Amino acid sequence: MRHAAALLLLLCLCGLQIHAHSRSGNSDEKFHEEIVVRPLAGDHVNTYFQFTTRWHYGARDNLFHTQLTPRVIAEILQTYDVKELHISLTQGLWRYESWGYPIVEATGGAEVWAWFSGANLTSSSVNSQWNKLANVFSGVLCASLNFVDNTNSIAPKHTFRPQFMDASSRTRHVRYASLPREIVCTENLTPWKKLLPCGSASGFASLLNSGHVHNTKYHSLSLKVRTLCAQPDNCVVELTQTANLVYDLKLLEQSSSRDFSLRRLFGMGLNGFCELADSSKIYVQRNEQGQRYQLVPSPLEEVSSTRGGFGSVYAVYDMQKLSELGDRLFNIAWLAPKGERRQPSTSAPPLYAHRYLLGAGQERGRIVTEVTNTHWEPLPVLLMELVPWYVHTYLHTLRIRSKTNGHGHRREQVLPFKLLHYAPGKQRELPTHLEIGFQLPPQSTASISIEVDYLLLKWLEYPPDANHGHYIGAAVISSQLPMGRNYTALPVEGHLFKHSFNATRPGYVLTLRTEALIVGLPTPDFSMPYNVICLACTVVALAFGPIHSVATKLIIVERNTTIPRNFLRKIWHKIKRRAGSKNEPTEQEEPEREHQRVADLNERNDDDDRTATDYDDACVQRASM
Amino acid sequence: MGLLSDPSLSTHNKLVDSLAKHVRKVCYTFYAAGVVWFFCLALPEFNHGTYLSENALSPGLVYPEIRIDANRLTVQLLEELQRERKDHTATTPYAWITAKFNEFGLETHTHNYTLRYPFGGGKEYHGKNVYGILRAPRIGSTEGIVFSAPYRAPSSVHPDISPSVPLLLAFAEFARRKNYWAKDLIFLVTEQEQLGMQAWLEAYHDGDREVDPTKAYLFPGNLPARAGSLQAALNIEVQDLDIDYIDVKIEGLNGKLPNLDMFNLVQRIMAREGISSGYKQTPRKARRSTFSTFEQNLRHIIAMLTTQSSGVPNGNHGLFHRYRIDALTIAAMKRTTHSNIKTSPNSVAIPLLKAIEGIARSLNNLLERFHQSFFFYVIVHNDRYISIGDYMPALVALVACAFIKAYLTWSTLDTESSGAPEINDSDTSDKLPLPYGSVLIFLTAALLIGYLGNVLPLQQYFQEIPMSAAPLTASLLTTLMLIGFVLPFFVVLPPGGLELLHIGLLLIYGCALIVVGLLNFALGFFVAVISVPLVIALNTNAPDTPESSSVGLRALIRVYTLLLNPLVIIYGIVLIMTFYQFPELGLQQLLLRAAIAAMDAVTFALIDSVIYGNWLYFAVCTVFLPIWIICWTLALARRRDPEEDEDDEDPQVKLKTN
Repeated sequence: MRHAAALLLLLCLCGLQIHAHSRSGNSDEKFHEEIVVRPLAGDHVNTYFQFTTRWHYGARDNLFHTQLTPRVIAEILQTYDVKELHISLTQGLWRYESWGYPIVEATGGAEVWAWFSGANLTSSSVNSQWNKLANVFSGVLCASLNFVDNTNSIAPKHTFRPQFMDASSRTRHVRYASLPREIVCTENLTPWKKLLPCGSASGFASLLNSGHVHNTKYHSLSLKVRTLCAQPDNCVVELTQTANLVYDLKLLEQSSSRDFSLRRLFGMGLNGFCELADSSKIYVQRNEQGQRYQLVPSPLEEVSSTRGGFGSVYAVYDMQKLSELGDRLFNIAWLAPKGERRQPSTSAPPLYAHRYLLGAGQERGRIVTEVTNTHWEPLPVLLMELVPWYVHTYLHTLRIRSKTNGHGHRREQVLPFKLLHYAPGKQRELPTHLEIGFQLPPQSTASISIEVDYLLLKWLEYPPDANHGHYIGAAVISSQLPMGRNYTALPVEGHLFKHSFNATRPGYVLTLRTEALIVGLPTPDFSMPYNVICLACTVVALAFGPIHSVATKLIIVERNTTIPRNFLRKIWHKIKRRAGSKNEPTEQEEPEREHQRVADLNERNDDDDRTATDYDDACVQRASM
Repeated sequence: MGLLSDPSLSTHNKLVDSLAKHVRKVCYTFYAAGVVWFFCLALPEFNHGTYLSENALSPGLVYPEIRIDANRLTVQLLEELQRERKDHTATTPYAWITAKFNEFGLETHTHNYTLRYPFGGGKEYHGKNVYGILRAPRIGSTEGIVFSAPYRAPSSVHPDISPSVPLLLAFAEFARRKNYWAKDLIFLVTEQEQLGMQAWLEAYHDGDREVDPTKAYLFPGNLPARAGSLQAALNIEVQDLDIDYIDVKIEGLNGKLPNLDMFNLVQRIMAREGISSGYKQTPRKARRSTFSTFEQNLRHIIAMLTTQSSGVPNGNHGLFHRYRIDALTIAAMKRTTHSNIKTSPNSVAIPLLKAIEGIARSLNNLLERFHQSFFFYVIVHNDRYISIGDYMPALVALVACAFIKAYLTWSTLDTESSGAPEINDSDTSDKLPLPYGSVLIFLTAALLIGYLGNVLPLQQYFQEIPMSAAPLTASLLTTLMLIGFVLPFFVVLPPGGLELLHIGLLLIYGCALIVVGLLNFALGFFVAVISVPLVIALNTNAPDTPESSSVGLRALIRVYTLLLNPLVIIYGIVLIMTFYQFPELGLQQLLLRAAIAAMDAVTFALIDSVIYGNWLYFAVCTVFLPIWIICWTLALARRRDPEEDEDDEDPQVKLKTN
């Protein structure tokens, strides 16, 4: 890590000197826009947009004055101790088996993780900063990130590695949360585009129209901020905004042929480049699935790169160079050779994963994650699970079984853990956090299963559409590949796509996301409470009062003979009583004693000539217990 | 505080005493009320019109987009399939189906399973399902819908339904080009009727389970790919592209039904496409009948309950219900009548394809799983139904007889035991302690016999006997039945035991019927209708008391009890069915054939219970057989002779208290 950091520092310092003659005039801030187009297997096309802003802001006080970097990014760096932040909003699922690996990983729904580092930073202060940070970006991106709190956040121990650089080696904290239910839509795309220096007015971002972006099989918007500090007052902030889209050519209109063009994918042609950008380039993959296409117009240059033993070829369209030459590039078309029926098949990438839920019913189930290694060497695998609090996991049922995929003999064995971190969940407070590390044998599939119980929620805790089910977020699988097959991610010290060319390293850190799961928690029939519960409660309440009263009180019947029957005498009697009560206030003051007396009288079963004239009530009740 | 122990509320009040005198009348009134209520259900006043309670379905809100080219594809695929069928007479043309799925751009997988047949020395059968998954663009594979078509090889004895596969494929090809899917669509072609579907579902939901090869019978294996939680399923059985009408099959395993919304959805979509469709739909000719509405309704109800009561699903959809996936089968029947109005071959499959598209798009709209409270219903007519609140009173009235009789018998029994000392006020005070222990032992013995019927046929040492499955199971059951039959001749309960046993029987019987009726109303109701009269008529009073029944009635009760023996009932049902199927047979042949068929039926029920989880066999063995043994004991009413001297006083006591 330290080695990488040093290299990175060197690189960014070099970069600063090279790009001294920047277009924006301010040599400290640089903006790059890139598009990578990769045809994928099964008539799919991956288009990847990357907008990178780098700002060598020096000391922290300079953060008040931004030019290309959005002000909100500068402000969070000013306010919080966050050093690295990843947010992604995704719809769909990246299919590793046919599409290979994406340049930037993301899981369905919203996913956030951040590294915090600072002096005297405690875990609780990180928690509060984390919540505030999520709230800030909830507003910035119009996403439900405000639901990120301690009940769905964990601090991963091993899975995430920091990509930032801090001047002093202080304690680092990481927080991770995912909201798999989040639906990504236009309302997220628009604010995301507003963070760009040119907005959606010009440049590559003008291609991103919601009508076409959301008509894809997979689309993922992401935002990555990191700081790189050589010394406390010599810092770089790097903001990378990416949009990763996978088009299915069969879903496009007039899909009779396999040809496609930028205009057909995005509904409009290129609108020049962003004037503030230092570079704006389009990379088109020319090997693998891209090999059979003919490009119109043909590119000015082609770059071939060898990374980890696997070569790739990219055609490069440099928009700025083209405009200097006087060409205005409006559209790029991919023409497939006519009459070709069979597509070149792709082999599965070295490592891929699937996850599913087993078991029937709303009481319990099993979460099974299958990780497949198609490589000829064993691979280290690190699996991180974030299970929400409404699903109870049982650690003793955790099992890793591996099955060899070879033809003929099938062998099953139980794999041992190399590493296990488990933080049990707590109802309504903490999610279950599980990290497992193991060595996956070559050419085999490991299935990691853990049994779970579903909790019966309180009735206000059910979301609208309660019978839709609750989500369990994707598992994050991390590994280190020894070779670069299908691997396209940028190296940790790089920030442009071209930095991944010829970037051979001893190992390639790979992270995968699996499918999210829907669990059907036991759900009450929400049409019934008003009918049944309310009625039953009313009946019980109505019945309880009299029954309790009858059951706990002694009933004494007292015949009130002193009241005369005659009407006139009744009035006379009343008047007399009034007068009597005024004359004898002491009797009013001792009602308790009177009660006692009456009861005693009753018990003795006396005859009728009692003098209890002061009690009009027909019966006197006394608590018997 | 004396509310609960108020002596005036004891069991000996006048009302109870007078009621106890007329137990049978009260019970027969309830019985009649229950049966009358059931018949009333067929009246239009007692049932309701169907409606869609799930608004998200909104059937028919979108225009069908499927065009004439889909029809062309269907016809072409059907021709190709017919050619394939000539080469594969006994198996599914996997390669052809897989190739088509791949060509349409679906993720294609195969699923292998193995069945170890419980009988016949553990012979193994292998099967293979093919499925393609359309990964929906709007979702990350968290939810899915299944469209399945069973494939029948040309050698199958069932009617040919091979056009279902081309229809499924044509719809898959159409759906692949649409971007609005919010649930993964699984297109599944199963083989070997329900076995393939059962194996696939088990693999989908329990794929990682390590099965013990000596205990399990079906080894479903695991699936290579899944599509999240399944929301609904539609099974298609099409006999011909040119269809006459559609029969919507809904009865599932153990009498479970899909949500009524799903049935209504299918009905509405079919109506929109102008396809004649309905529950237990018959050809057009028969529908123009002269039944009154009441009679027609009643036939419909009884037909539905009959199908439900066996607990055997009448299509592949029935196995989904076990996993809380709503499913039904649309069985399209070949046009045999009105052959002059044959539709043009250019658009022959279009109505059905449009209907499938409409159903798929409505299901795709679902935000939530089907959950509105219509899982228990009886369909009266295609657009009328009876909800559980309306039909349950019929069963409750029948079962109430058992409980009322139990209470009244108990109250009089109580008088006997506590009243005796008062009258004799001598040493008889401790003479009549109720023999709880021996009655309990008797009950346990009866239950044990039933349990053995459940367990024995699958034991290893019985399977090694060189006998085929059906006679083996049948002879084992008959043996157990005979043990139950002779049990009362050898075991005679002490005095008071019969009365106590009677009360025990009534309580067990009532509870069993209510539970069975809640799980499978049809089964519970039919059992109640035939057995409640016996339970009411049963009388344990000593023969010489005035309360006891006459000799003739007693004999009648015994004969009726014998008739109600589960094996006799099964034989009777099979006999009637055989009679209707083969009316040309002579009496002797008929009886013999029915006996063989009944043995097969018992074996199939047993196999159903171990492979599919049908609990009919279990219920008959574990619940109904012991109840029958107790009934038989009570019908015989054999008393212990040596205690004749003690019985001298009993008649007096009963005379006074009863």
